[in-house]
Amino acid sequence: MTPPEGVPARSRGAIGLLEENCTVCMLCARECPDWCLHIDSHKEPLPPLGPRGRPRVRHVLDRFAIDFSLCMYCGICIEVCPFDALFWTPELVAPAGDGADLTAERARLREWMWSVPPPERGPGA
Amino acid sequence: MTPQQVAVLGGTVTSSYGESVVDIGRADWLAAVTAARDVLGFDLFDLLTAVDLQDEGFQVVLRLWSVTTREGLRLRTRCPRAEPVVPSVVAVFRGAGWHERQVAELFGVVFAGHPAPGPLLLAGDVAGHPLRKDVVLTSRVEAPWPGAKEPGESDADVVGRVRRKNLPLGVPR
Repeated sequence: MTPPEGVPARSRGAIGLLEENCTVCMLCARECPDWCLHIDSHKEPLPPLGPRGRPRVRHVLDRFAIDFSLCMYCGICIEVCPFDALFWTPELVAPAGDGADLTAERARLREWMWSVPPPERGPGA
Repeated sequence: MTPQQVAVLGGTVTSSYGESVVDIGRADWLAAVTAARDVLGFDLFDLLTAVDLQDEGFQVVLRLWSVTTREGLRLRTRCPRAEPVVPSVVAVFRGAGWHERQVAELFGVVFAGHPAPGPLLLAGDVAGHPLRKDVVLTSRVEAPWPGAKEPGESDADVVGRVRRKNLPLGVPR
């Protein structure tokens, strides 16, 4: 849901996910005081880098959902993310008749992501 | 108000956030609150609440305001967990009545001498005192913790795991 006219671009609305940056470290899900972040993932083997290397494992995100019926917009998940995968967006979470519709799955979190303004330059940048 | 002036209430005077804080023994509670109003001129009752200090019992916090000097004052007292009784200050500030009923309901602190004790906010079917730290939220028992999964795991991997590797913070068990 687009924010109303006059809402500053850096408003703290819904939370967006840039899943390219997510390494499925689970830190946000563990820090969330409301238990509103749901993450599922699986392991994928990767071939060794060289002839003497070992086979490696990569974590692949299967599900990333934020239950906005529980979220209190504290922003701890955004703060704790070591890889900048979560962002404040100016979007609004649309009201829903059913509480289950307030759970935003990764597609919706990704769509919101595109309304995040580029980082501001600080003084002297 | 200088710490020397506040010291007439008895108890230990400290300062926090630009306000004097006085820790008073339970037996002197009513006398100190009366003196704060009549001697020091703190004429407006602001709030009364409590803190669960776990092994150290409960701390009852009272904040007063002086309308003339525009200053705040905090008074605190403690009661042990085994015997959570504090004298009521309704006789000094009538507005404290609802606050004391709320603290009695949420923390289980009994205010001796309260003229009309009884439940204030909670529905009748709530058992126990919900703001005590040893009370576990029902939703924390029923819902699985989303952080129990390791990176690379799904819900199915966690079901039936005997030893739980991670435990949620702040949930007593």
